[in-house]
Amino acid sequence: MNLVQKTAPYLRKPTARVSRFMGDVSVALLPLVVFAIYRHGLSAVWILLAAVLSMVLTEYVYNQIIDMLNGEKFKLKNKSFTISNMSIVTSGLIYGLTLSDVIPLQVVIIGGVVGTFLAKLIFGGLGQNIFNPAAFARVFVALSFGGAIAYEAYVDADAGATVLGVLANDLFDSSVTEYYSYWTMFSGIGMPGSLGETSALLIIVGGLYLFLRKSFDIFVPLTVIGTVALLSGTIALFHEDLGLWFPYTMVFSGGIMYAAVFMATDPITIPITRPGRVYFAFGVGALTLLIRIFGQLPEGVVFAIVFMNMFTPAIDYPKWTTNKFTLRSILIFAAIVIVTAAIATAGVHYAL
Amino acid sequence: MIQTNKQIANYKNISEDFERMEHVEPERVHIALNPPRCKDCETYVEVGDTVAIGQTLGVSQGPFFKLPVYSTVSGTVEAFTKKVMPGGEEDDVVVIKNDFKDTMHESVGERSDEEINAMSQQEIVDIVGDKALTGLGGAAFPTHIKMGTDKPIDVVIVNGVECEPYLNSDYVLMQERPEDMFKGLRYAMQAVSAPRGVVAVKETKKKLLAMLKEEAAKHSDLDISVVEVEDFYPQGWEIATFKSVTGIDVPVGTLPMEYGILGLNSSTIIGVYDALKYNMPVIDRYVTINGDAIKQPTMFKTRIGASTKHLLDKSGGFKEDAGDVNIVMGGPMMGQSTPYEDITITQTTASLLALRDENPVEEPCVRCGSCVYSCPVDIQPVQIMNAYKKGDKKALEQLEVNKCIECGICSYVCTSKIHLTDYMRKGKNFLR
Ligand code: SF4
Ligand code: SF4
Repeated sequence: MNLVQKTAPYLRKPTARVSRFMGDVSVALLPLVVFAIYRHGLSAVWILLAAVLSMVLTEYVYNQIIDMLNGEKFKLKNKSFTISNMSIVTSGLIYGLTLSDVIPLQVVIIGGVVGTFLAKLIFGGLGQNIFNPAAFARVFVALSFGGAIAYEAYVDADAGATVLGVLANDLFDSSVTEYYSYWTMFSGIGMPGSLGETSALLIIVGGLYLFLRKSFDIFVPLTVIGTVALLSGTIALFHEDLGLWFPYTMVFSGGIMYAAVFMATDPITIPITRPGRVYFAFGVGALTLLIRIFGQLPEGVVFAIVFMNMFTPAIDYPKWTTNKFTLRSILIFAAIVIVTAAIATAGVHYAL
Repeated sequence: MIQTNKQIANYKNISEDFERMEHVEPERVHIALNPPRCKDCETYVEVGDTVAIGQTLGVSQGPFFKLPVYSTVSGTVEAFTKKVMPGGEEDDVVVIKNDFKDTMHESVGERSDEEINAMSQQEIVDIVGDKALTGLGGAAFPTHIKMGTDKPIDVVIVNGVECEPYLNSDYVLMQERPEDMFKGLRYAMQAVSAPRGVVAVKETKKKLLAMLKEEAAKHSDLDISVVEVEDFYPQGWEIATFKSVTGIDVPVGTLPMEYGILGLNSSTIIGVYDALKYNMPVIDRYVTINGDAIKQPTMFKTRIGASTKHLLDKSGGFKEDAGDVNIVMGGPMMGQSTPYEDITITQTTASLLALRDENPVEEPCVRCGSCVYSCPVDIQPVQIMNAYKKGDKKALEQLEVNKCIECGICSYVCTSKIHLTDYMRKGKNFLR
């Protein structure tokens, strides 16, 4: 027995662990993985494997190279690389589930490698990255290989066009609800779309799990979805061709639920305070909707996340962020929300 | 985990109820001659002198006030030497051999209620100051200075919320002497002419609460009440208790007296009673010996000046399989770790914890935000750490690192097991 001297405090919360925290996200994704495999069979397995492995291996090889450059001997087990905290596996899964089932495997791999490298590793690895690696990889794929995964590419006999595919042609085409009932959009059964994004039901199950385990901040997905619902609801209210189906479709299509629960909540790339996170989430929701309406990019939500990631340091700027909602900050925020809603509504009215 | 953390889990399964309670009369006591905040001591006794309980051994001179030093046993002065104090520093002490006769000094004697009731603020303050009463909750701030305030006081709050997990000394004392505590509260209210007195206790302490409420009912002539406060950490932190009781948010760094609040720890208020009623300084102390490395956790009542080694031995010592042991004076969140077993018990020594050393492995920050969500003073530990690492003074100031009360919550909750509280201390030092 030895007496040791430490500095206070001497207790550490047992349930506060990086592996639990990141691992929980993977667990929450499991129902979606199962659903994807059930619907798309082996192709889903290959795509998810390619996504996860490409990201894990990139991180591993990168760490090996860095260590060798630092003059260390090659060892199969790398000291800086750890898979046990689940962070990179989770990113791989999140990325894989955003992809369509007809995407060529080499595209998955290139996206995974580039996303991990550019969004995570060159910033210094876990905790240092500015961009969400999964969102970044997805954006990269969309920009570089847009054709390979265009939504029109899979208007096939049994699936039909995606909701956003229809709406991209005509925003006010209420016939989408004839293709897909509310239940179909909610459950994802029979909905075309990417591997993991279609079933709002299972996403909510995953979200509930994360909430109960306290592994994410529920304010973030609620704000993203709330923003989309509020803005699209306002637009529908002031437009005679739109009805309740419009906000419903906006919320339950195109991966918004998925991105809100699994991508916008990645703590590393979003602000650190709760008010900051709410502002960030509002930005994601508002941008997504605007991109959808005016830009007609189906992947709007991942663009919105990557774009908002860039503002994280600004939102965190110590001078104006504290962890408290003050009356002043609430008023300013409310004003911004109202102005955004007005702009979106007026925009739809006059521009389209 | 991303959450606002308000509870400290008892994951080490440390007992918080004591069947074992022991009264320990030490062979000899070591009385510190330089209590905190006072550096020069003039002594009145020599080796070989016979002294009695409550006899003045010397006077310690501080910058703004002086504090007499009293004997806590009767016996003979054996030596003047040096001894380790709870803060880890060595201090001059006078050693007194106990004759176990408990002879009282002639200055000790009962005052009648009429005499006390007729006292002015100054008279009360003088007696309390003369008995060298300091805050027994841990801060060791001289009580007479607080009670001598010239600000109008609306409420005297007795803080009966033990600040940290695993500590019980204050609860035990309150259970033992509820009557005296309320009388002490009356005296304090009399001194500062406060219309209201409140005893704040955690809502989870049902037995104690029932007992105190019964006692409070006997003082219905004054506005005295018992208030249940929510059980969270750091509720024992004065400012949190004040907020729970009065709703007033006293800014860190200002005196609560400016807001009409006089806060005294429950043990201190019993000290006030002893000083006024019996002209008696504080001579004994409840000390918890606890922790997951201790064989038989025990609550002791002993004299101030006794040695912790003695109490450790009485608790069976350390467990054989304890591994590396961390000895902590005070609580597990804010206490002082020391590499010594033999430490002098002072007025403010409420506990000694022997904890198995954990040695958590730090990982890179994952920016989960738990530290930010949980900080009781609403600063951002993770941002402060980053600013400190960059050596950015301006950012440290903007982030208000000096507001930190070093409660330890940020280190406790960190997902990556980063010792943030240490960075807060470094950050503060850096700004000095
Ligand atoms: S130690 Fe300081 S920074 Fe950390 S939670 Fe407590 S008050 Fe906040
Ligand atoms: S320092 Fe720890 S608690 Fe704070 S954000 Fe980073 S990982 Fe979370």
